[in-house]
Amino acid sequence: MTSLFRIIKFALQGFFRNFWLSVVTITMMLMAIFSVTLLVGMDYIRQATIDGVEQKVDILISMKPEIDKDKVETLVSDMNGLSEVKSVRIITPEENKVLFEQSNLDDNTKKALEIFEEGENPFSYSLAIQAHDLDQYVIISEFAKQDKYNGWIEDSTFRDYETFVEKINNLAKMVNKYSWYVIAVFSLISIIVIFNTIRISIYTRKNEIMVMKLVGAGNWFVRMPFLLESTFYALAAVLIMIAIVYFVISFLQPSLNTYFQGTQVIDLSGYFRNNFLFIFGVQFLVLSFLNIVSTTIALRKYLKV
Amino acid sequence: MIKIHNLSKNYGKDVHALRDVNLHIKPGEFVSIVGQSGSGKSTLIRLLIAEEKMDSGQITIGGWEITDIKNHEIPTLRRQLGVIFQDYKLLSKKTVFENVSFAMEACGFKSSDIKKTVNQMLSLVGLKDKRDRYPHQLSGGEQQRVAIARSLVHKPKLLVADEPTGNLDSINTREIIDLLKKINNLGTTVVLVTHDRDVVNSLRGRVITLEKGYVISDQENGKYLL
Repeated sequence: MTSLFRIIKFALQGFFRNFWLSVVTITMMLMAIFSVTLLVGMDYIRQATIDGVEQKVDILISMKPEIDKDKVETLVSDMNGLSEVKSVRIITPEENKVLFEQSNLDDNTKKALEIFEEGENPFSYSLAIQAHDLDQYVIISEFAKQDKYNGWIEDSTFRDYETFVEKINNLAKMVNKYSWYVIAVFSLISIIVIFNTIRISIYTRKNEIMVMKLVGAGNWFVRMPFLLESTFYALAAVLIMIAIVYFVISFLQPSLNTYFQGTQVIDLSGYFRNNFLFIFGVQFLVLSFLNIVSTTIALRKYLKV
Repeated sequence: MIKIHNLSKNYGKDVHALRDVNLHIKPGEFVSIVGQSGSGKSTLIRLLIAEEKMDSGQITIGGWEITDIKNHEIPTLRRQLGVIFQDYKLLSKKTVFENVSFAMEACGFKSSDIKKTVNQMLSLVGLKDKRDRYPHQLSGGEQQRVAIARSLVHKPKLLVADEPTGNLDSINTREIIDLLKKINNLGTTVVLVTHDRDVVNSLRGRVITLEKGYVISDQENGKYLL
């Protein structure tokens, strides 16, 4: 118990009395975890953007004007039978008319409705169909092209999106594949930076270590405060990282909300709040582990006195 | 206290630091080991505190033969010795009190004992009023007195001093030597390594002279020969 107390006391003394060395060491660690945190955040933004686009993509099937509600419901029932279909929404002719009137089309185009008499509605039923995955839209589109529905469907607007969806999908797959390479490379660089930072930190205190040994301190009595001190570095770096992340998010989130018209497609603060323990806990554990290993290796040479 | 038998230490093939050294230092003695640079004085000290390993021979300290001492036994050996160095070797980020108490903390003494003993030692070396200062806030002589307090705080039977006055002016040298004599009078065996002629001659004690790794003279009430 006394030894433990002394180890903690020496670790705290080492941490605060070598203040500038601690500042430099923490700064280097901060830079290392900053790059990883930035990549994690960017990875979330990428995924959230793709999810957002996916949510907005659907197939809009316009039925022929003569198709009645029973046939529409038959098509809906058939569509719901497809495992690829996430949801089917019926848009009535009345709703289509309202949507047309509220659309961004110019006034001249909207005036086209005036040729119809009061109570007459030129719009037909439509179906808005969403798939679980971007890849599945082609299957749904092919399903709608069956001979059975030939006389029912006026138009399918998915073709307009087809190229876009394909590009988004390919981009997502490519980014998914390479983002992990980038994170791996950054992590490797971080490990090298941390290892060398600790080595330099221990090197600058080599005389202290040798003196401790010469006055009769055992290896563990010398080593333990340094190991504990290295976890203090990790804790300080992660705490500063948390402050930076929340400071940046407080500025960034409103801009993102404005950009995505208040729909919170990218909810960075929610993402970091929900994954707080995972992101920062893992950072602390990994950083502490790296620091302890680096300290143990760096100390070995000077403990041989 | 110290028995050295046929001790040799070489650095590579051509550098013979110590050759067939035989010594017997009795408890309570004050022994000066003198010699020019490269005569083997510091090598002898490094072997006594197990900072280096000997090539051949035997060293026994206080009945413990340290010829083949294991690495994990070295701290135990050092806790039974007091060592002071020319460059003081103080912990720069610890206060005077903490520097002295560190040696006791490393030995596992209780905090209450540490506080009492460290204060006693600081009184002995005349630094009780400077206990909260850091080494860089002290003069060379004061730093060496802190080192002496640290070396004695765990009450060793043997104090080994490697050129303790090498960096000090004559007034501070006198003070340190007087302090070592006082410690010796209290019963601690003192081995003083020095090349300071005046210091050795003023002590009028046993003088062992080393040259090129050999013991060329060992005289009771000796003088600096070289």
